Amino acid sequence: MASSARSSGAAAALLRRRPNVCASCRTTQFLRPYSVAAEAQATAEAHHLKPTQSEPHVPFTVSRKAEYRIRSSIILSRAPLLTRPLTPFENAFFFYQKRLNERLTTEFRHSMFFKKDTAADLDWRIKLEERGGLVAKELGRYYAKGRNAWNDELLVGSTLSDENRIRETLLKDAEMRVTEDGEKAKPDEIVPVEKPQPRITESDKKNDVRKLDRKLDQTLYLVVQKASGEWQFPTDDMSTGENLHQSAQRVLDAAAGPNMNTWIVGRVPVAHHVVQPKFKEDTSLAAKGEKTFFLKGRIMAGQADVKENTLGYRDFKWLTKDELKELLPDPYFKSVRNMMADR
Amino acid sequence: MASRLPTALPRRPTTSTLSTFNTLAPQTTSSSIIPTLQQTQTRNATLIKRPKRPYTFTQVIQLSDGSTFTMRTCSPHSLYKSTKDTRNHVMWNPSEKSLKNIEVDEAGKLAAFRERYGRGWDAQAPEVQDGGEGAQAAAAGGAAGGKKDGKKDDKAAADASFENKFDSSYDPLGDLISQYAVGVPEDKGAKVAKPKKK
Repeated sequence: MASSARSSGAAAALLRRRPNVCASCRTTQFLRPYSVAAEAQATAEAHHLKPTQSEPHVPFTVSRKAEYRIRSSIILSRAPLLTRPLTPFENAFFFYQKRLNERLTTEFRHSMFFKKDTAADLDWRIKLEERGGLVAKELGRYYAKGRNAWNDELLVGSTLSDENRIRETLLKDAEMRVTEDGEKAKPDEIVPVEKPQPRITESDKKNDVRKLDRKLDQTLYLVVQKASGEWQFPTDDMSTGENLHQSAQRVLDAAAGPNMNTWIVGRVPVAHHVVQPKFKEDTSLAAKGEKTFFLKGRIMAGQADVKENTLGYRDFKWLTKDELKELLPDPYFKSVRNMMADR
Repeated sequence: MASRLPTALPRRPTTSTLSTFNTLAPQTTSSSIIPTLQQTQTRNATLIKRPKRPYTFTQVIQLSDGSTFTMRTCSPHSLYKSTKDTRNHVMWNPSEKSLKNIEVDEAGKLAAFRERYGRGWDAQAPEVQDGGEGAQAAAAGGAAGGKKDGKKDDKAAADASFENKFDSSYDPLGDLISQYAVGVPEDKGAKVAKPKKK
């Protein structure tokens, strides 16, 4: 209602510039600035009309049902396993908040946590002395109760707030500095703490796109290669006797094998892709169109295997959204991109 | 400490100043009421104590599968290694075989217990073991046929044997209850008889 009123208002504004248009035309009809032929072509394109048709059918979907095939497809994804790395700004912000917190909290009472003259107490004292009496482990030489407490901001280019440095500092601090005899350990007696695995795995280094332990902080999606070399999500025609989610499960089993623990998230498609039918000059059908409905699935365990698939797929890949953008045909990717998370 | 008013703040106007103001007020009749309202200001915000928070450290948490994250905690230890969490618990890893509780009965104690008290205490419905001829035949057929079909037959046979035993609805405590039910009437009679004697 509002939009039509606005457009008629815009039309009236256009017509007001032409004095030779009659009064009724001025209020009711909007004269398009482009030619009639161009307009007809635009309508035909918008409604996917056959060559001889000039305007869309009234019962549009009923009459043209036979020109499309309905297909079911599954977008199988692996959820990210790691949180994303923080940006330098986020690191610096958290570091600043920690220093600010130093000024506002109550002091650490170590007698509450360590019994006097125990190994843990001695260990704490050794580490505290090495830090110059500072209780905080990763905040640098910052005395929150001292004269220069106001000077809590880092200078540009300082690496103190770096995530990796903080983790290494904490792991270094976790080493036991007291021997079993209750004495201070010599440097060669200190057992280093085992380092956690890096975020970059072997598959990342090799860029092995068939492995699932690649790009741990992003979602991976399963795509398969047709015999023609084109990549797509596992897809097959629907039969009349099954529902969308049933046929998606069938497609998954047929394409990627049973060696997966998967979960189809819902029964409602998360995306759809339409390929328009092609017509000859005499309006007979040259090629059927396709309407593909995508369901969402998650892989929990296992691995895809296309060796014994019955849908004629040659190969498979686990790819991120960015990689899919490069690989998939543009209209196909545009239909499915909105169901994919950024990460 | 925090509740004390800072010395730099102006003090609350006393009644004496108000009264002096009121005595002066009649000179300007229009603004006589409004200034008194502005004069009586309160400073409730400065009376709220800053909450005392304990000192917090940054700690690295390592889950049982080796993944780590940092968090703020009161604990002065800089590394915490978890032994049981979602990464090695069977509820969150249903497909992990190594986490499943597999029964080990080398001494035969569990078998002896079952002989005496029945299978009602089992955590889950038992696998078929004494299915009889039907189950054996099914197992033999399964061995001869494909692996998958054999499994199916076995399961069917197990279901059948359960149906015979427990009349279609399998109750894990059923046999125990039925044993009690058999014994009860005799006891009851004895107990009822006793008070009569006394």
